[in-house]
Amino acid sequence: MAAMSLLLRAAAAWGARRAASGAAGGARLPWLTGTARLPGTGAPVRHSSSHGKRMFIIKATSFYDTRFLNLLRFYIFLTGIPVALFITYVNIFIGEAELAEIPEGYTPEYWEYYKHPISRWIARYLLDPPEKNYEKEMALLDIEAKKTELRLTELEARRLMRHRGDGPWYHYETPDKNLIDNSMKSTPDN
Amino acid sequence: MPEDRDWEAYKVPPTRTPVSESTSSVPNPITFIQTAFNYVIDAPVTFVREWIERQQAKNKFYYYHQKFRRVPDLSECLEGDYLCFFEAEAQWRRDRMVDQEIVDIVRDRLGACKQREGPNQFQNCAKEVEQLAQVTKAYQDRYGDLGYHGNARTCLMKQKHRMMEERKAQANASE
Repeated sequence: MAAMSLLLRAAAAWGARRAASGAAGGARLPWLTGTARLPGTGAPVRHSSSHGKRMFIIKATSFYDTRFLNLLRFYIFLTGIPVALFITYVNIFIGEAELAEIPEGYTPEYWEYYKHPISRWIARYLLDPPEKNYEKEMALLDIEAKKTELRLTELEARRLMRHRGDGPWYHYETPDKNLIDNSMKSTPDN
Repeated sequence: MPEDRDWEAYKVPPTRTPVSESTSSVPNPITFIQTAFNYVIDAPVTFVREWIERQQAKNKFYYYHQKFRRVPDLSECLEGDYLCFFEAEAQWRRDRMVDQEIVDIVRDRLGACKQREGPNQFQNCAKEVEQLAQVTKAYQDRYGDLGYHGNARTCLMKQKHRMMEERKAQANASE
């Protein structure tokens, strides 16, 4: 029994040394080593009772990875689960609308053109009615059209006034003709 | 939840397999499988679905398909009337979407016909094939090579060119 455990310990130590040298030594086919595949290098540690070899597994840390994944799951589920429960409640207990012909003399409200109750709620309380949106776009277009028209007429007026000279623009200040000294022009022999 | 397809649209006529009288004393194992399926899967699912529908039937509400008023076309708009252009453009886009749906429906009809007829499809689906050919030719003529940035104006220009070609062809044919 003691010899058996000594044999096992020696075999594990030999295996560990071989695995360590294999990891440091270079490429070696993993199935040729013959020992069990350990996740990383192992080093035998004392206080091993007879139920197995206690190994100190040396491998790269997974602390940061597991912390990241835990935090990711936590923050996704923090709002994801309430949202999923709410949507399930709406789909089961409220349900989608049914398609119907527009009754005579009735104009449906603008949110009644959507099927899902959440889409209807968003269209009713958060978004503008499409008629208002349409009119807003047309108002923008109208303003821009009027601006274009005004700019073009201004350019045309400026061109004409410059050309004809009979308008209020393009008047240039000239000095007063009474300031001209005509004394050197008054005698012919100067 | 995505809608089921409309089962009534392409209704297949009922099959005419005759009821066979089994002559052996061994019972048909299919019946056992059918009853097992019924009790294990069909009944619970139907129960849950009907419970859900009972909850939803307490407050029913409806949705409608919006009917848009017709506005003057792009060819009826005056030059520089940008509001008229905007409305005609919106109407043209809606009409193009409607035409796309029409082509899809005609394609679905041909597919349903092929599925229904099976090996007889080449003889019996000739009408649907002809209809699909006409509809796709019409769609290609009207909206065909306008490209991603095609709008009502480019479509109108394409129509103008088509009419010019037609007139030229008529003039050439009448000579």
